[in-house]
Amino acid sequence: MSTDGALESRPSLLSIALAFAGISSTAFGGGQKASIRQQVLSRGWMDAERFMDGLEIAQVLPGPNILNLAIYCGQRVRGIPGAIAAFLGASLPPFAIVLIAGALYFKFSSNPFVHGALRGCAAGALGLTIGNALELSWDERSDWIRIALLVVTAVTVTYLHMPLLLVLVVFGGLGIAHEYRRWRKTQK
Amino acid sequence: MNPTLQTLLHLLWVFSQLSVLGFGGGKGIIPQMHADAVSQYHWVTSEQFTQFYTLGKLVPGPTTIFAALVGYAATPDRPYLGAAVATLGMFVPSSAMMVGFDVLWTRFQDSPWRPILSHGLAPAIVGLVWSSVWTIARGAPTSVAAYVVTAVVTLLMLRTKVSAPLLILVAGGVGVVALR
Repeated sequence: MSTDGALESRPSLLSIALAFAGISSTAFGGGQKASIRQQVLSRGWMDAERFMDGLEIAQVLPGPNILNLAIYCGQRVRGIPGAIAAFLGASLPPFAIVLIAGALYFKFSSNPFVHGALRGCAAGALGLTIGNALELSWDERSDWIRIALLVVTAVTVTYLHMPLLLVLVVFGGLGIAHEYRRWRKTQK
Repeated sequence: MNPTLQTLLHLLWVFSQLSVLGFGGGKGIIPQMHADAVSQYHWVTSEQFTQFYTLGKLVPGPTTIFAALVGYAATPDRPYLGAAVATLGMFVPSSAMMVGFDVLWTRFQDSPWRPILSHGLAPAIVGLVWSSVWTIARGAPTSVAAYVVTAVVTLLMLRTKVSAPLLILVAGGVGVVALR
């Protein structure tokens, strides 16, 4: 592809790791995708089209989107060593930060004020999860088969404790079959 | 076998499976993680599980980094080793798949299967997210004040652009006063 010509300056593995370490230690949630986009485009590591391609695959495959996206970018510029550098940069700072949070948690969680704060935070995180579920469900509203799949999945997992692998095979499989049928209709 | 070593192997096994099954950014794995970490292996209580999940949302980076805290609690003799093993299990398998599939995905550049696969999995993932709501609620405080906090945060998340960590911190501030 012609875009390869733009990647003349091969970034060092250290600069790849540091770029993603900077993002992973400061940015949250959706903001991380925007930060990664801004970084890789401004450094000339790839063009916008390739970035969007990476974002798509990062979202489809298992694993955190931002970590997958970092690995994709690292791999595009420096192959597998670049992917490893990006992995380390994107995962080590959050690991260190969550360990500090955990050490404080185990030290102070029995203090009544801290305990109250943690309970409040938990109530807040529950609210975020509900909001997320509502947003995602809203995207499915136009197709009753997808809504039915969604409801049946939620009920069987919550009340029958259906294992995740089986859920993905059965309900994921039905969803894919349904999409395939819809696609076939558009082809006729 | 040394009990700590046995726990480390269980951690690696449990989190590697969750890693490979973590479609949709890992949003759908929470119910299974709870079934493994709380119900089967008793590494953490339901309340701890919810609070670790909360810390995972509070810190920068992927939420599923809270696997480290489950590992930390599971191995009291070697907490940092447990945290590291759980995190490796959580992140390495999916990352290896990302490296491997990148080439394949590019080859199927214009294949209709790309949108069919990604769009087709979505209803199951959203159903799993609803089940996660139930999972997290099991370890969340149960009082009128807590329900109000949850409802207000839900509304603010949907209606405003306030960031997730800030919403959690404000909820924590309310908790100091109302949920002690």
